[in-house]
Amino acid sequence: MFRKLITALPLAAALALPAVAQEFPDRALRIVHGFGAGGNADTVSRIMAEEMSKTLGQPVVVESRPGAGGTVASGYVSKEDPDGYTMQLMVGGHAVAAALYNSLPYESVDGFTFISTLGQFPFMVAARSGEYDSIGALIEAAKASPGSVKIGHSGVGSTQHLTGELLALRTGAEFLHIPYKGGAAASTALMGGEVDVVIDTGTVIRPQAEAGVYDILAITSGERWPDAPDVPTVSETVADGFDVVSWTGIGMPAGVPDDIADKIRGAVHDALAVPAVSDKIASLGAKPSPSSGEDMTALIEGQVAVWTDVIATAGIEKR
Amino acid sequence: MSNNKTYAEESTAMRAVSGGVLLVAGLVMLFFAWSYPTGSLNQMGPGFMPQTIGILLSCLAVAIIIIDLRAPELAQGGAMHWRGLIFVSAAIIIFAVLVDVAGLVPSMFLAVIVSMFADSQVRPFSALIYTVIATFLGWLLFLVGLELPIPAFWR
Amino acid sequence: MLDQFLLGLSVVMQPNVLMYAFFGVFLGQLIGVLPGVGAITAISLLLPVTFYLDATTSMILLAGIYYGSQYGGSIASILMNLPGTPSSVVTCLEGYPLAQNNRAGLALFVAAFSSFLGGMVGVSILVLAAIPMTVIALKFGAPEYAMLVILGLLAASMIGTGSQIRSFAMVILGIALGLVGADATTGYYRFVAMPELADGISLVSLAMGLFGVSEVIRNASRRPAANAKPLSVSMRDVIPTRAQARSLAFPIVRGSSIGSFFGALPGTGAAIASFMAYAMERRFSRSPEKFGTGHLPGLAAPESANNAASQTGFIPTLTLGVPGDAVMALIIGALILNGIIPGPRLMVDQPELFWGVIASFFVGNIILLLINIPLIKLWVLLLRIPYQKLYPMIVIMICVGVYSHRTSVTDVLLTLAFGILGYLMKNYRFEPAPVLLGFVLGPLLEDNFRRTMLLYGGDFTVFLTRPISAVLVAFSAFLIVFAIWSSVFDARITKRSTK
Repeated sequence: MFRKLITALPLAAALALPAVAQEFPDRALRIVHGFGAGGNADTVSRIMAEEMSKTLGQPVVVESRPGAGGTVASGYVSKEDPDGYTMQLMVGGHAVAAALYNSLPYESVDGFTFISTLGQFPFMVAARSGEYDSIGALIEAAKASPGSVKIGHSGVGSTQHLTGELLALRTGAEFLHIPYKGGAAASTALMGGEVDVVIDTGTVIRPQAEAGVYDILAITSGERWPDAPDVPTVSETVADGFDVVSWTGIGMPAGVPDDIADKIRGAVHDALAVPAVSDKIASLGAKPSPSSGEDMTALIEGQVAVWTDVIATAGIEKR
Repeated sequence: MSNNKTYAEESTAMRAVSGGVLLVAGLVMLFFAWSYPTGSLNQMGPGFMPQTIGILLSCLAVAIIIIDLRAPELAQGGAMHWRGLIFVSAAIIIFAVLVDVAGLVPSMFLAVIVSMFADSQVRPFSALIYTVIATFLGWLLFLVGLELPIPAFWR
Repeated sequence: MLDQFLLGLSVVMQPNVLMYAFFGVFLGQLIGVLPGVGAITAISLLLPVTFYLDATTSMILLAGIYYGSQYGGSIASILMNLPGTPSSVVTCLEGYPLAQNNRAGLALFVAAFSSFLGGMVGVSILVLAAIPMTVIALKFGAPEYAMLVILGLLAASMIGTGSQIRSFAMVILGIALGLVGADATTGYYRFVAMPELADGISLVSLAMGLFGVSEVIRNASRRPAANAKPLSVSMRDVIPTRAQARSLAFPIVRGSSIGSFFGALPGTGAAIASFMAYAMERRFSRSPEKFGTGHLPGLAAPESANNAASQTGFIPTLTLGVPGDAVMALIIGALILNGIIPGPRLMVDQPELFWGVIASFFVGNIILLLINIPLIKLWVLLLRIPYQKLYPMIVIMICVGVYSHRTSVTDVLLTLAFGILGYLMKNYRFEPAPVLLGFVLGPLLEDNFRRTMLLYGGDFTVFLTRPISAVLVAFSAFLIVFAIWSSVFDARITKRSTK
């Protein structure tokens, strides 16, 4: 009600609500996600929910079930009825969790019907402006005096942390990995000089880079990122074949009938085609990337393999 | 309600009970934390803090027991409110058990009516009317006003 | 600075912007009254709405909800002993006894007015010293945070009305509860008896249980005393006397200063500020025995502190683009969705936005004061409802609030467990407030202490060689010496008086 009241205030654009009677969604749908209200996952869920409710003609409710790196929500969703009314907004952490946890209350790949990825985004390796000339110089410094270069990351077992470990493994450099609670805290530590490098998403890094506080040394995607074509990739500079891209996507419990899954996939793709939605996804640092269910499954399977390897080699404690 | 025991009637065991519970808490904590890796000083493990805190808690508990045994005043501050304890607990448990299954409205209804009985002078009929009103207000506030993502009824 | 501030004011004074500012603070205040349903829920609910608004208006709306909810939080604390946020826990300590002594109106007035003054001090710091404060905040590394937290914990163990050793044990118990869940540094599971506990105990559960539920259990069968005077709502009983007002001046000044400072440090915020302000008042009061019974300075200081902190909390957000807490992260998210990248260049690139938002805080605080004073009457009337008719609603608000926070049944059951614990604790003269601060600060302490050891190779001298940290160590040492000295001194006095 409060929401409607505010929307009804002057200057707020009127919401177009096409009421098309349809068979499949005959009641409200849910997007469940495993993170706190207000995180990126929550925001993306709400953007999608807003748009999908228009195409599906039913309200789409966002439900946050945070806990244990999103695994509480995944466990919950995988056990829900595969009737098409329960969706999950997944993030790259879904693949990390499969590698990081000793036992999970669900099957990370077989327990779900994957619908489509929504956006893909690389990480950026950043240092204080002027500190290192290039990513090569950074790796040299880390090799010259092992453990002297400190990388701040957003938490043990985060994709950011594992990316740093992977960088160390592939280049043979030795870093001191310092955990912080979230990318913002790590970024503050970089500004204050407590750590030398931070690997995080564009939303954390780019504002500082644009202000001249940070230099972006490299980007973790396999190829140069359209949004930042001047930034060299890790792959072309110090570690050939290095390719880390995280993602957000929509999944459902395993066993959703194909026609319903297709309908949801259609609604997701339609939503991503709306400029207002794709712009917002892009503003969060991601490239809108509608995909097929098979592509999403393949992406997740590939990442589970990579992270399992990194966790074993880097000696990160499993949970 | 005032306390119905005098200082002389309070036994040694009763005087030590609060510190004792705290001591048990500290020891249980230490029991579990003992197996956690402590690491080294510059790579502290996850066990360092729990063990330190467990030891500190146990020591403080012992100190509190000693102080309570020698204290000139009563250890227990007042009589127990059994009725409130039982019915309020029951109401919250009913809510917790039902909300995922039956939805918000039935669980609110039952929780309100059960909690009403925490008051010793409740009259069943007025309790029922009150409960209907309270449930309606709750529905209005949480589901209509705040649009909380909780289903109103079972699915 | 001033002409830029005037530019900001000209933005806010446009009628439609002003309307959103009003709506934001008003809604925030309402949400703040509801325990458990915090500013985060409200803001994330309204996030889609901001897609249709421009960046400045969105930010003004969302920020208004945030600091408006700080005002609202104190209302529930005073009237029903329900602290919706950790920073309003301290408000319960003096506010609730006042309400029980028929002085709810006075308590609400003092809380609103000190909140207003604290907020205004916070805004002034934001206008005049945002940049220098940012520089100081960046000097706070892991060692400084660790020492700051120790100082806060020492202060917390001094806020109880009973013995210091009991309070200190409760702080430690709070830290112990804060250890439950995955260890932040290694991800190792500690005391995780069930998977729902992997992320630890919810603060909302703990606060609602220890304060709210325990109070309902105690009072469900309470009858109003036969000779009780009817609640008075005349303005004369609401406004403090001249002498009372004078006694509040310095507590508010001290509270606002403490709040402004702590708010500007990312990640510490309003909770530490309000506890520190309260502890400081108690320590340096000439009549410490009055605390805990409804002592006005003990209400005014933390109220001004947490509102000052909620304003200066925007300093790292606005000047660096670094969110200090979850709410700030949400507000930054809204900005990003509007195509504005918050960061160090915000002030230069978007002066209308930057100064407009700051000016909206100024206006918003005035609006809050203006809507709060008349509402006091209404809130006090709420207390005319006999407690027997009120408590079932309180139970429901707690249940729904806690449940909606993480959609977790376990959290609701834990709230009950903490309610029973809180009830028993009070029966055995243990205070709940230090538990809560230990719970909030414990993880911060462990996190920063371990990070310090990791960064500086296990070298303890770093705490003394870094200047800010050394000053904090000195403060802590002073507090300990002072506590020991005063307890020895007190013991002597009691001995002499019993002879």
